[in-house]
Order: sequence, then C-alpha cells, then structure tokens
Amino acid sequence: MEERKIKKMDDNEMEECDMGSDEDYYNDPDPDVTHTDNDKDPESFEYKILEVVEVEMLLNTSVETMCKTIDVSPSLAKLLLHNYSWNTQKIEAEYRQNPEQLLINGKIKPSKIAKGVSRKNECIVCAQEVDTLLGVECRHRFCETCWCQHFEVQILNGVSTAIGCMGTDCTVLMPEDFVLSILRCRNQSKLSQQYQELTFRSYVSNHPELLYCPGPNCTAVIQAKAKEAKRVDCKKCKTTFCFKCGIDYHAPADCDTIKKWLIKCADDSETANYISAHTKDCPKCQVCIEKDGGCNHMKCKKCGHDFCWMCLGDWSAHGSEYYECSKYKENPNIANESEHAQAREALKKYLFYFERWANHDNSLRKEKDKMKEIAKQIEEKVTTKDGTWIDWQYLNKAGELLRRCRYTLQYTYPYAYYMLKGARKELFEYQQAQLESAVEALSYDIERAVLDSRGDIENKMDVVEKRRLTLVREFLVT
Amino acid sequence: MAGGLPRRIIKETQRLMAEPVPGIKAVPDEGNARYFHVIVEGPAESPFEGGTFKLELFLPEEYPMSAPKVRFMTKIYHPNIDKLGRICLDILKDKWSPALQIRTVLLSIQALLSAPNPDDPLENDVAEQWKVNEAQAIATAKQWTKMYATRG
Repeated sequence: MEERKIKKMDDNEMEECDMGSDEDYYNDPDPDVTHTDNDKDPESFEYKILEVVEVEMLLNTSVETMCKTIDVSPSLAKLLLHNYSWNTQKIEAEYRQNPEQLLINGKIKPSKIAKGVSRKNECIVCAQEVDTLLGVECRHRFCETCWCQHFEVQILNGVSTAIGCMGTDCTVLMPEDFVLSILRCRNQSKLSQQYQELTFRSYVSNHPELLYCPGPNCTAVIQAKAKEAKRVDCKKCKTTFCFKCGIDYHAPADCDTIKKWLIKCADDSETANYISAHTKDCPKCQVCIEKDGGCNHMKCKKCGHDFCWMCLGDWSAHGSEYYECSKYKENPNIANESEHAQAREALKKYLFYFERWANHDNSLRKEKDKMKEIAKQIEEKVTTKDGTWIDWQYLNKAGELLRRCRYTLQYTYPYAYYMLKGARKELFEYQQAQLESAVEALSYDIERAVLDSRGDIENKMDVVEKRRLTLVREFLVT
Repeated sequence: MAGGLPRRIIKETQRLMAEPVPGIKAVPDEGNARYFHVIVEGPAESPFEGGTFKLELFLPEEYPMSAPKVRFMTKIYHPNIDKLGRICLDILKDKWSPALQIRTVLLSIQALLSAPNPDDPLENDVAEQWKVNEAQAIATAKQWTKMYATRG
C-alpha cells in the first residue's frame, strides 16, 4: 500500500502541492516535513527509546485505565493485561461480553472453585498446623512459609509472571502484590528485587509495542506503534536491529528469510569458510593476496594487474554498464544432471551467495576502521592547510552512506538466494548489480579523495543512495 | 529447610508404610530418608502383568516445591520410559504441584504402565513400534517383562 502511495507522490509531486489547501495544511496532524521524509525513505520508522522509568510509566498508565474500566486491583489488572498481551481493547470487549469468563481466561479466577480442602488449619504442603492460611481467588490455602518457599524455587528458576498456585491442577496465577507481600513478610528483599526485575522483563517481552534492545548489556527499551520489520538504531549502544524479530536489521529480506539464512550459515559456513578461505591469488601472477578493506577493484602490487576481487576477472570489463559478477548465472541443465552434480550445484549456488554476504560483512567490519581513517585523513589535511575542516565533512557523510549501502547490499544476498528464478529475480539482481557498481565506484573515490573531488563524490553519493532506495522500495516487504 | 527431616516427609513416609498403595511398595533407605526403594507390580491386563519393577525415588532439597526424581531401575519396554529408566510424565515436570505427594506420583506411574502414550514419547523407537505395529510392541513388552522383571 505504502509503496504505491510513495510512487504516486513522486510522479505527481507538483500536483499534490498545488492541490493541498491551506486548511489541509493546518489541520494535518503530521507536518509536511514528515511526509517528504517518508517519500524519501521507505525504511523510515517512528520509534522512541525509553528508559526503565519511562516504560514503568507507560505500563502504569495502562494499568490505571484497566482499574477504572473493570474494577480490579492494580496488581490483578497487571496480570490480566500481561495475559492478554496488553491488549486493552480485547479485554474491554470480553469484559462487556462475559466478565466472569474474562477473569478465568486471564488466570485470575479458577475454572472450577476448589472444595474446602484443608482440615482445620493444616497446610497440606508442609503438614503443619498454623494460625493462618493464605491464598487468592481459587481458595487454595497454604501457610506463609510454604508460599515463600514456592516463590523462591520459582523465582530462582527465572519464573515470574507465570508463577502458579500450589494447588493441584489449579490454573490461577499469582498476582504481583500477593507474591511481594509474602516475600516482604519473610524479609526476602533480595528475592523480591529479583522478582520485580523478572516481572518487568516479562511485561516488556509480552508487550506488542515494546522491545528490549538486543545490544549486549543494553537496558534500553524501544517503543513503536506495531511490531513491524523496520530498522531501529539504539542511541545508547549503537546497535541496529529489526523491531519485529530483534536480530540485525535485514532489509530487503524479511524476518523468516533471514532466520532461515542464518541457520543455514551456521550449519554450512565452516565449510564455506574452508573453501573460500581468506585469501585469493592474483589471476595473473598467482601471488597470494589478503584483502584488508577497500573496494573490489584490486591492483596487484607485484604485477600491477587490475582485477575484481569477487570474480577475479579483468577489472576493465566491470567499469561500464553493470557489475557483472554479482549475478549468479544458474546452469539451465541442472535438472537433468545426477544427484551428485545437483548437490554440487546447490553448494556452488549457496557459496556464491554466502561469499558475497560474507564479503560485505567483512567490509562492514573494516568500515569502522575506515571511518577513523577518514577522520585522521581530514585532520592531516586541515593541519597542512589543504582545505578547512568544513570543506572535508562531506567525506564523513560519504563514509556513513557507504556503510549503509554495504549493509543493505549484504542483506540482498540472502534475499536473492531464496528468490525463485524469473523476471522478478532478474530485476532484483539487476538493481543489486547497479547498487554494487555504484558502491564500488564511491568506495574507490573516497579512498583517493582530493579537495576538488567533492562535487564528484557528492554526485556519486546521490546516485548510490537513489539506487539503494529504488531497490528497497521495490522489494522491501512490510 | 535446613536441619531435620521436614514434617511433611515424615508424615508421607508414615502413611506410605501404614496404608500402602495396592501393588506398590515404597521403603525409605536406611541411611537416607529422602531416598526410597520402590517396587511397582505390573498392572493386570497390561503387557507388564506379572512383572515386578524396581524404581528409585529421591526427594530433592526443595521438595515439595520441586517434584521428586523417579527412575526405573528395571529394564522396561515402554514408549514413555527411556533406556536409562527416565520417565516422561507431566506431573514430574511442568504439571508438578506442591500439593501432590509421593503416593500420587507412584499411582500416576502405575497408570502410565496401564496406558502407554506413544504420542508423547521419550523413547522414539519404541513409540514408533507402538504406533506402527501395536501387537508386536505388546509382544516385545511382554517378553521384556518376562526377561527382566520376573523374580527367580
């Protein structure tokens, strides 16, 4: 839907501007700026990075609303919301239909009320006579000591919101205030804190608008309207990930494809690594070369031969229309050949895509050093009066753009691997090749930048980003 | 939980000795009151009929907040019991409730012998055989009962 809208806006941009009346302009809740941003970037996604306190506030707001709508304690409201994945509308709808059933489904009330189980004041778990037996809605009653031990065992096993009643076959879950009050009575402050941390994590992971940043030791929580496969950049720990599946951002591939691909890589990559290794020989003089960054245009230091790192072909054949070697030419006779040959062909196909995927991954890793290098380069140039600091800032931007494009390119390979043969795949691989060649051209220029190459580089930056967006816009599944 | 044996375990043991479950004998070890030597008779009209099966039952430190650990010591051909004698039974895992007892656990194990459940297998080969050729599986189970679970 959005894709189509964007295209239309592009074509009729002028018209759209003329048509919008002043009234529309002022009444539109989204200012025009956001619209144009959306047009530019199909990957744009609105999200907020929240601190723990802010998340607590957000959850509490839902709890408060729930308490008002269906007259329950905050603790029960929390349990209910958690069991309904914080879907207040669904809870309200079910409440209107059958309030009793809602409490049963929400695991607050039991489906069948327990008979008076206990004789006098004996706790059936520890078989001791006690003054008071405690319990919740289901009327299963046990002593404070047993409840506390039960909670301790569960919490130490990492269970929090799912702690159940001790009664046999009882479906009721223990509300937060009951657990906390027992732990407080028994002076279990450490356990209590652990319980609160666990429940909080559990609430966040069940909330459709929230996701923990997957960055190591990062405590940030991301909030967005819906779990879409969109790009999130954590400002705290600089991790980039997908809001739907929480692993590395993967456009244009979707969550399932990338999951499949990563599993496949984990299985096969050792072999692939072994086969492709880290070095290649110069196709002319056979000297062994290790590539430690930069673009795919290689110039052999020994014999001066120009060649492409990916296909080891002559570089002169690559410069013009498109970057030939990103196309995998499938053998049309594959179906007729033996099983063994097919297996080899399948491995070859996988290795083709894997090598390119790993190559970009590798380049991306090197890109971090590259950014530092660029900064150093700029500093040197400025100190030697070769332009001002401002003059060179475009190089930083170019480096950042290069990183983004390589990132997208990396994820085009798993996408293409799982694509069926046909016109659409051809179009995809054409656009991919276009992007590859633009990226290589830019990478080459950045390495050799001089003061008057700014215009040229900025031109190439524009081309590269346009090609990236064309590809993403056409193939990104939302 | 430190110190002597919890009252709950003492009471359960006393009751097991005073009113034993028909077909089941559970005796605590002389040196360890948390370790029980169990003998279960193969239920009538099951492939295990006529056999006596030795089991071990251990009450962990957290008992009754955690389930007892039970294992068959006698070799048995059953889809829910593996080579090492480990048992696939819901109340020994996620369905455990502190209100359950040693007695209820042993009754459930006896019931499992009467009604093997090949749809929730622990021992895949046995379960497969049970599904594909039930008559053959029952014959094997009877044979194993004779070979490994008959005294003398």
